[in-house]
Amino acid sequence: MIKIGVIGLGRMGMLHLINSMKIEDVKVVAAVDSSKKALKKAKLLGVDRIYEDYRDLLNNQSNVDAVIISLPNYLHFESIKLALESGLDVFIEKPLANTVKECREIAKLVKKSGCKLMVGHCFRFLEAIEKMKESLDKGTIGRLEVATIEEVINGPFAHPRVPAPVSDWWFDPKKSGGGALLDIGYHMIDLFRFFAGDAEVIFSSLDYKFSLPVEDGAIVILRSSSCSAKGIVNVGWYQQTIFPKYNFRAILHGNAGFLSSDYLVPRNLYFHAVKEGTKNLLRRIVGKRIRYLSYTYYYESFYRELEHFFDCIKRDSDPPVSVEDGLKTVELIQQAYRLVEQSCMKREI
Amino acid sequence: MGSVVALVRLQNSREEEIKNSIYEASSLIGFKPNSSVKSVVIKPNLCYYWDADTGYTTDPKVVAGIIDCVREMCGKDVDIKVVEADASAMRTKYSFPVLGYEKLAKQKKVELFNLSGDVLIEKTVQVNNREITFKVPQILLDSDLFINVPKLKVMRATKITCAMKNIFGCIGTPRKVIYHPFLNEAIVGINKILRPHLTIVDGLVALGRFPAKLNLIMASADPFSIDWIASQIMGYKPSKIKYLKMAVNEKVGDPKGVTTCGAKIEEFAKLFPKEGLLSTGFLWSLQFQLLKTYKKMVGDIIPPVLEE
Repeated sequence: MIKIGVIGLGRMGMLHLINSMKIEDVKVVAAVDSSKKALKKAKLLGVDRIYEDYRDLLNNQSNVDAVIISLPNYLHFESIKLALESGLDVFIEKPLANTVKECREIAKLVKKSGCKLMVGHCFRFLEAIEKMKESLDKGTIGRLEVATIEEVINGPFAHPRVPAPVSDWWFDPKKSGGGALLDIGYHMIDLFRFFAGDAEVIFSSLDYKFSLPVEDGAIVILRSSSCSAKGIVNVGWYQQTIFPKYNFRAILHGNAGFLSSDYLVPRNLYFHAVKEGTKNLLRRIVGKRIRYLSYTYYYESFYRELEHFFDCIKRDSDPPVSVEDGLKTVELIQQAYRLVEQSCMKREI
Repeated sequence: MGSVVALVRLQNSREEEIKNSIYEASSLIGFKPNSSVKSVVIKPNLCYYWDADTGYTTDPKVVAGIIDCVREMCGKDVDIKVVEADASAMRTKYSFPVLGYEKLAKQKKVELFNLSGDVLIEKTVQVNNREITFKVPQILLDSDLFINVPKLKVMRATKITCAMKNIFGCIGTPRKVIYHPFLNEAIVGINKILRPHLTIVDGLVALGRFPAKLNLIMASADPFSIDWIASQIMGYKPSKIKYLKMAVNEKVGDPKGVTTCGAKIEEFAKLFPKEGLLSTGFLWSLQFQLLKTYKKMVGDIIPPVLEE
């Protein structure tokens, strides 16, 4: 049995907590959040130990094997460091940390501690993406030439069912580390690396439509270091999205064909939900294991990434998304920010 | 007695055209501000961070047109404030820049004012045998000219939201969600306390099942009369809208004598994307109820964002 603590019970943290409770041989024994309401909910869900400060859990971590960290970005480095120093395996929500320097230090700590660290690159665990990767690796579309990967959503402006104001740290560059590029561009850039290997940024443009201190949109062009493939990443926070709509797609253009995630995700989300729900109901009736969250298709990836994390702890194998993946993605994002800064400076001169 | 509601159809949504339409609509209802007007507050609907083209919030171009008209009518030195209160999920410190109001304030040299930061006066009213207390921003009680600038849109809880609901947005308390269990009473209650001198509706883009360009400006001195007409544009019988019915009973409004001038209601009603059966509040609740039942029966997970 893997005993875990969940640090941070915001939207993602609470989802990770609930998902972990459904995974075999995993027990959530502790939870941390500064909100009393969130802690009360964790207690109701059956979590024994609750803390208001993550340091209290990490300094008193007897009986915990691993932690899931879903704190605001600016707390990632400190909390990961403390967890690794305490000998705990870590699942960290993206980004790995806010700066390349912090990411490198975390990579060193992972090596030194021998602990496992997996970054929450959930898009890799979408069924559509897995199928695309498999086809690409099989050579179905020939050599990859261009990948266009995009996600345009609400970002921090997503309207929760129970209204609550957006947290201030999102718009403070020192705390968030960036805007839409770091928030969702992070996943899209990681996907390009997933398909085409290591890369460099050759063009970057940021939008500030909302007149906030962080960007609300970004277009980045990447070039793979190992093949000639280019990646066009387009992300934005400017679109009003209401569940279950989801504006994400990846298209891989090869010299022998193309693959589009649009053909691999459900066309009608309501029909898909009913179909998957019915299948699960039948699985329950005949005593088979159900497939968690499949009715939402994209929330399922959050469950599957955790399954992989706990599996690698059980088998003592390497996590499917390593600390290097997190580090390299943050490096590319910093490159993109630097390119924009440099072009602004050129314009000023 | 209800009052006159002017409907003006715009040829395009350029600033000059908007300003002229606001002028035209105000003249049609015979609006003339008092010559002694020194302070003006303009209350757009900035309920969330989705901009005017989505149909959710008031277009800053409409507010710009109103500012120009007010200056022409009341003099250039009149003090104009564009006001909005924080809401359960919205903070004006973000909605002002995100929705283009900071730019507008700079261009037009007006002040943006957060009503939740004002001195709040407690006022209690009786509606439908329920006593309701509101915290009302003092500035709205003290201003010489209070202009209400709502949007024309549908809303699950009340079917429509326009002039009277935008006054509900003036309540100083950010967590207005506390009034939602008795929302109809609360809308009528706050309209007993706050009476704008003029309501100009931004119907450039209206929101039904999806956003639609109506190119409409409405004006009236009476928010109730505006909502009575707006509900017809949105495909509802006004007498079936709970808060309008309640407003009649509470003598906040009177449908007798509500008349229109300018363009015809039908011109806009045929363009408005009326709510379908699938988008009603009942069906939304049913969906979430089904999800909960599914969770219970199967043991699957419901993402907290849907469950809360």
